[in-house]
Amino acid sequence: MSNEEPKGLKAWLLTTDHKKIAILYLYTAAVFFIVALLLAVLMRTELLTSDKLIFGPKLYNVFFTIHGAAMVLFWMIPVLLGFFANYLIPLMIGARDVAFPRLNSLSYWFYAASGVIAVLGLLLPGRLDIGWTGYPPYSITTEANTALYIFAVHLLGASSIGGAVNFITTIITMRAPGMTWGRLNLAVWGFFGAFIIQLIGVPVLAAAVTLLLFDRYLGTNFYDAAQGGSPVLYQHLFWFYAHPAVYVVALPVFGIVSEIISTFSRKKVFGYTSMVVAIMIITVLGFETWIHHLYVAGVANWSRVIFMWATILIGVPTGIKIFNWLATLHKGSIRLTTPMLYALGFISLFTIGGVTGIANGLLGFDIHVHDTHWVVAHFHYVLALSMTMLCIGGVYFWFPKMTGRMYNENMGKLAFWITLLGSLVAFMPHFKLGLDGIPRRYWSIPEVYSSMMIISTIFSYIAIAGFILAIYNLIVSAINGEKAGDNPWRAKSLEWSIPSPPPFYNFEKIPVIEEGPYEYGKPGS
Amino acid sequence: MSSENALHHEHEHHEVELSVWPLVIGLASLLIPFAFMAAFQWSSPVIGLLLTGVSVVLLLIGCFGWASEVYSKNQDVGLSKIAILIFIISEILLFGGLFGGYFYNMLPAEVWPPANTPDHVPPLGLALFLSIFLLSSSGTIHVAEMKLEKGDMGGFKGWLCLTIILGLLFIIGQAKEWAGLIGEGFTVSTNAFGTFFFTITGFHGSHVIVGLILQIFVLLLGSRITKKSHTIVKATGYYWHFVDGIWLLVLSLMYILPYYGI
Repeated sequence: MSNEEPKGLKAWLLTTDHKKIAILYLYTAAVFFIVALLLAVLMRTELLTSDKLIFGPKLYNVFFTIHGAAMVLFWMIPVLLGFFANYLIPLMIGARDVAFPRLNSLSYWFYAASGVIAVLGLLLPGRLDIGWTGYPPYSITTEANTALYIFAVHLLGASSIGGAVNFITTIITMRAPGMTWGRLNLAVWGFFGAFIIQLIGVPVLAAAVTLLLFDRYLGTNFYDAAQGGSPVLYQHLFWFYAHPAVYVVALPVFGIVSEIISTFSRKKVFGYTSMVVAIMIITVLGFETWIHHLYVAGVANWSRVIFMWATILIGVPTGIKIFNWLATLHKGSIRLTTPMLYALGFISLFTIGGVTGIANGLLGFDIHVHDTHWVVAHFHYVLALSMTMLCIGGVYFWFPKMTGRMYNENMGKLAFWITLLGSLVAFMPHFKLGLDGIPRRYWSIPEVYSSMMIISTIFSYIAIAGFILAIYNLIVSAINGEKAGDNPWRAKSLEWSIPSPPPFYNFEKIPVIEEGPYEYGKPGS
Repeated sequence: MSSENALHHEHEHHEVELSVWPLVIGLASLLIPFAFMAAFQWSSPVIGLLLTGVSVVLLLIGCFGWASEVYSKNQDVGLSKIAILIFIISEILLFGGLFGGYFYNMLPAEVWPPANTPDHVPPLGLALFLSIFLLSSSGTIHVAEMKLEKGDMGGFKGWLCLTIILGLLFIIGQAKEWAGLIGEGFTVSTNAFGTFFFTITGFHGSHVIVGLILQIFVLLLGSRITKKSHTIVKATGYYWHFVDGIWLLVLSLMYILPYYGI
C-alpha cells in the first residue's frame, strides 16, 4: 500500500474510504431519486383526466409501488444514512475513518444489490404492484414477483444493520480527544438516533417479510386468515419499523437543519441540550406510535387510544425543535444562501405537514380520512417534499467541502424558489380530496375534481423542474465551479477546519477538541 | 478513551486501503434472489441450485479473503467486542418480532396448541435433553476463554473443540426431532402452532449454526489467536451466550408452555 491516493475506477469500486463510499451512496441514491421523479411525472400525467390517458390502472399500481419504495428506501434513507452520515460523522468527531471500513463498503454493496433487485421488480414480467408496504393477502395471492420485493428489503436490511453497528461503534469509540458527548454536532446526534432506530426496527421488518416469503412460497400460515393466521400481524410487524423509519429520515434532517441555521445565523444553536433530549425522546417514542397506521385494521380500542396519545406526544419534542430553530434565527446575523433558503423552506413545509399530522393522529379524525388523499398530502409535506428539499440543501451546504468548488448561487436560489412554489401548491388539493373521502392509490379521480387535479399536476411538474435544476447546478459546478477555499461559510464545526476536498486521511494530526461546534460570536471568529 | 485513541495514532503514515472482498460478498448476496426466483417463480430448480452453489462459493472466498486481509495487516484493535454487543441487540429484536407474532396468534386462541396438533407435540423430553448440551456449552466456551487469558493455548483449543462438539450434538438432535415430527405428519402447514414452531426453532437453529461456524473459524485461525489478539474469541463467546439465552426463551415458549396446553 502506498501513501498516494489511488485513482481510476478501481479506486472507487474497491474503496474503503468513508468519503468515497459516501459519494457512491449519493450517486446511487440520486439515480433512484430521478427514477422516482419520472414515475411521479407519469402518474401525475395519468391523473390529469379521469379516463385512461397513457397507461391505465395496471401500470399505475406498479408505478406507485416503485415510486414509494424508491423514494423512501432507496433515496431518503440511503442519502441520509449512507451519504451524509458516512461523509460527515468521521469528519465531525475527528476520526480518520469509521470503525469498520470494509463493513462500510459491504453495506454499500448490499444496498447496490438491493437496488438491482428493485429495478428488476419494475422491469421483469410479474411487475411489483403490491404497494411499497407489500400487505398480504394481496402480496401472497398475486402473480407478481413478491420474492423480489422481499429480497430487496432483506438486502437493504443487511446494509442498514451493518451501517448501524458500524456507526454506533464509531460514534461511541472513535471521538477525538476532548470530543465529549456534549460537544457533538447535532447532526451527529441525529445520525446516532437514526442508527439506533435502524438497529432496533430493521430486524422486525426483516422478520415480517421473511414470514411473507414463507407464506407465499413454502406453505406456512402466518398471514392467512383461513388457516388461523392474520394479515393484521403483518401490518403490526411492518409498521413497527416503517413508522420509526420516518424518524430515521427526520432525525438526521433535524440535525442538518441545525447545522445550516446555526452557521448562517452566526449563532450558537438555541437550547443545545433540549435539542439532544428531543432527538432521544423521538428515538424512543417513535416505537410507540405504529398502531396509528392500523386504526381501521381491526385492533383493540385500548391500543388505539394509547397509541393516539403517543402519536400526539411526538409533537412536543418536534415542536421544541422548531421553536429552537426560530430562537436561533432570532437576532442572528442571517445570510440567505442557497442552503439557508432550503433550511427555511424545510421548516415551513415541515410545519404544514406536522400540523396535519397531529390531526391525522387523532383517532376520530383519522377514521374519516384513513387511506384517503389527506394522508397522501400529509406525508408529501411532512416527509417527501420537505425532507428531500433539505437533503438537497444539505448537499449544497457541504458541496464546497466535498468538491473544493462553489456552486452557482443564483441558479441555486432560483431552483429553490421554483421547488418551493411547486411543493407548496402541488398537494394542497389533496387535503380537500381526502376530506371528501377520495381513497388514495386509485388511478382515476372523479371528474368533478378535474380542475384540482390539473393544478396538482402542473405544480408537481414545477417542483420537479426545480429539483432537476438544483441537481444540474451541482453537476455543472462540480466540474467548473469557482474555487471555494477551505471554509467559505466561516463555520466553526470541525469538518471546516481541514482542506477542501478533505485528504483521504482526513486529519493530518488527530485534533484535540476544546469547544463545541457552534461557538460563534467570539472575537476573531 | 486513551486506549481507543491509540487507534487513531497508529497509522501516522496514512495508508490508503482497497479491498475487493466486500464487493465479492455483495455479488454473492445478489445471486441469492436469482437462485430463489429460479427455483420458486420460474420453476427451474436446477438453475436455482447452481446459482446457490456459485453464491456459496463466492461467499466463502469473500469471507476468507477478508479475514486473511485483516490478520495479515494485524488490524485487531478490539472494536468488534462492542460491535458484536450492538449487533446482538438487533438479533434480539429479530426474535422479538417472531415471538411477538407468536403471542399475537396464541393469546386470543381458546385452545392452544390448536386441536389438530398431535398429542406428543411438542416433544419436551428430547428438547430438555438437548438443552443439557447447549447450556453446558456456554460453560465450556467460558472455560476456553479463561484458558486463553492465562496463555494456555492447548487448553483453549481443547475446550473450544468440546464446545463445538456440544453444539453439533444439539443441531443433530434437533434435525432428528424435525425429521421425526415431519415423518409423523406435523409440518409447517398443519396449523398456526406448526408454522410458528418450525419457524422459531429453525431461526434459532440457524443461529446455532452461525455460532458454530464462528467457532470453527476461530479454531482455523490457529496461531493468529494470541493472548493479546483475541477479539474474535470474545465476540464469538458473546454470540454463543446470546444463542444460549434465546434457547431458554424458545424452550419455555415453544416446548414447556405448549406441553402444558398454554
